[in-house]
Amino acid sequence: MIRVTALAKRFGIVQAVDGVTFEARDGSITGLLGPNGAGKTTTLRMLYGVMKPNAGEIRVDDVDAVASPQEAQGRLGVLPDGFGLYPRLTAREHIQYFGALHGISGDQLRARTEELLRLLDMQKIADRRTGGFSHGERTKVAIARALVHSPRTVLLDEPTNGLDVMSTRAVRTIVRRLRDSGHCVLFSSHVMQEVSALCDSIVVIARGQVVARGTPDELRRQTGHDNLEDAFVALAGAELATEDTWS
Amino acid sequence: MMRRHLHQVLIVMRKELKDSLRDRRALFSIAFSIVVGPVLIGIMMNRIADRQRESEQVTIPVVGQQHAPAFVDWLQQQAGVTVARGPLSAEKAVRDREYDVVVVIASDYAEKFRSSRPATITIVADTSRNSARPTIERVRRLVQRFNAEIGALRLISRGVSPAGVTPLTVEEIEISTAQQRAAQVLSFIPMFIILAAFVGGMSIATDSTAGERERGSLEALLVNPAPRMAIVTGKCVAAAIVAMTAVVLTTALSANIPRFLPLQDMGIRFHMGRAELAGVLAAMLPICLFSASLQAAVSTLARSFKEAQSYMGVLVLLPMLPGMISAVSTLDQQPWMYLVPVLGQHVLVMGVLGGRPEGAWAFVVAGLIAVLTAGLLIRTMTTLFKLERIVFGR
Repeated sequence: MIRVTALAKRFGIVQAVDGVTFEARDGSITGLLGPNGAGKTTTLRMLYGVMKPNAGEIRVDDVDAVASPQEAQGRLGVLPDGFGLYPRLTAREHIQYFGALHGISGDQLRARTEELLRLLDMQKIADRRTGGFSHGERTKVAIARALVHSPRTVLLDEPTNGLDVMSTRAVRTIVRRLRDSGHCVLFSSHVMQEVSALCDSIVVIARGQVVARGTPDELRRQTGHDNLEDAFVALAGAELATEDTWS
Repeated sequence: MMRRHLHQVLIVMRKELKDSLRDRRALFSIAFSIVVGPVLIGIMMNRIADRQRESEQVTIPVVGQQHAPAFVDWLQQQAGVTVARGPLSAEKAVRDREYDVVVVIASDYAEKFRSSRPATITIVADTSRNSARPTIERVRRLVQRFNAEIGALRLISRGVSPAGVTPLTVEEIEISTAQQRAAQVLSFIPMFIILAAFVGGMSIATDSTAGERERGSLEALLVNPAPRMAIVTGKCVAAAIVAMTAVVLTTALSANIPRFLPLQDMGIRFHMGRAELAGVLAAMLPICLFSASLQAAVSTLARSFKEAQSYMGVLVLLPMLPGMISAVSTLDQQPWMYLVPVLGQHVLVMGVLGGRPEGAWAFVVAGLIAVLTAGLLIRTMTTLFKLERIVFGR
């Protein structure tokens, strides 16, 4: 579970995140929706402890993630924005490297790695170097290594970005499975179909601020639009609603 | 907590080593850097040995032999000397490099010699040619010796003891040019060993920092609950281990140079036994941590692997500096030198190989300085790894 209060981050004169407040509950999928440059990635980066906020509070379960980022990181599984892999290591080695850094070792690490490889249907590519992997395969490796320490809370920054239909479905299945087993899943996206198909609760961000919050139905009611797309456009501001920023 | 972080250092180190051992191009460049020094030294020494052998067996072309048959006979009796017919134009032959040196006997030689006036013998040579110098020197000494012998005989024939006109007995302890040059070549060994330390760790140092930034894998790595210091230390130690391996191999290869070269025949004392090997490694292994950390810290500032490599090109000049300085002027052992990383190590290795190693305190001081500066660099790098413009600045 994540609770974010009045989070703010400034880069020079740009206020990238400006007083963001929201909550992501366990056993639920929360979508962070917004156009490019809205502050989604910056918000997530502060959540998983690689950026320091200028102001605000972040709680992961009972841990203050601003004061003790490493303790929070231990509870988070993270797929960062534009993740990179090591081309000379195999898929299995990626999972084991991150598992070891989380303090898992020996039989436990081996068993967890096998479990993830099975779960993500990666047995065939497990011992190949990731250098020649497709984008879908690479995403699977990155998700697997993010889940190696069985984190209760999972953050995914645009996990389906650039994936084909089959891989997108595979990722959605993983996300639903995580929710069904009681995890807190927070994921960002700029694709509204994705969010409406998957999320139990949506946080809409535009220009660094939360402009709306609620279930898909609540959002429709708030804006008075039946169509979700129209609802988002109304929320995010018409000037941002051009085709190229929204999809 | 401490133990967990130490464990994380080892995990990062093991991963970086595994990763870079699979990088064939990097391995090739490391292997090249290990082999190139000893092989170059071997080739140079071999050439020097060849040249020395050539100058021992000397053929002297003499123009106008008919004017001084006694001189020519005397020359021919000297060990290793063969007299040949002279060319038509002595100066042209030397200028065209047909001969290293030509001796010309003046046509009035016999007449002057008989009347005890100085007769002229001309040595035509080009001393600007390095390769000709030993031969020229040899001929000059032969002529001077003939001059002295005849002078002594003339004095004796007049009833004067030659000792009277020889106030000095000049004793020469000869250090021939060949030996000097060989010693100079051997003085490159410390430089090549230090170079191995820098080239050895280079690929890991750049790939695990700038490479990781360029691939975008750094952010994911930093999401793991490990202190930046542990991650940075793991990377530096991995690079240092490869650098140390390169140093050990280069040193071992250098120690085996005498096996392949006739150094003994050339009268060159070069011995690298167990004690020397231990001395070189005691001086060099700590500096590997320094060189690796320096390279990693500088590479962290680079946005891409390519940018990092161009910085490394400049950094690699650093270990060559003491070697270059000592090639032009002698680097005397001074206590303050042990306080300067790389320079201290150079002086220590020179001392060990020259057969007069410095006391244990110097090894300890130089080693401590190397490890301390490495620690400072690791701390600086940790700070860099916390900067958002480093982690995200792609």
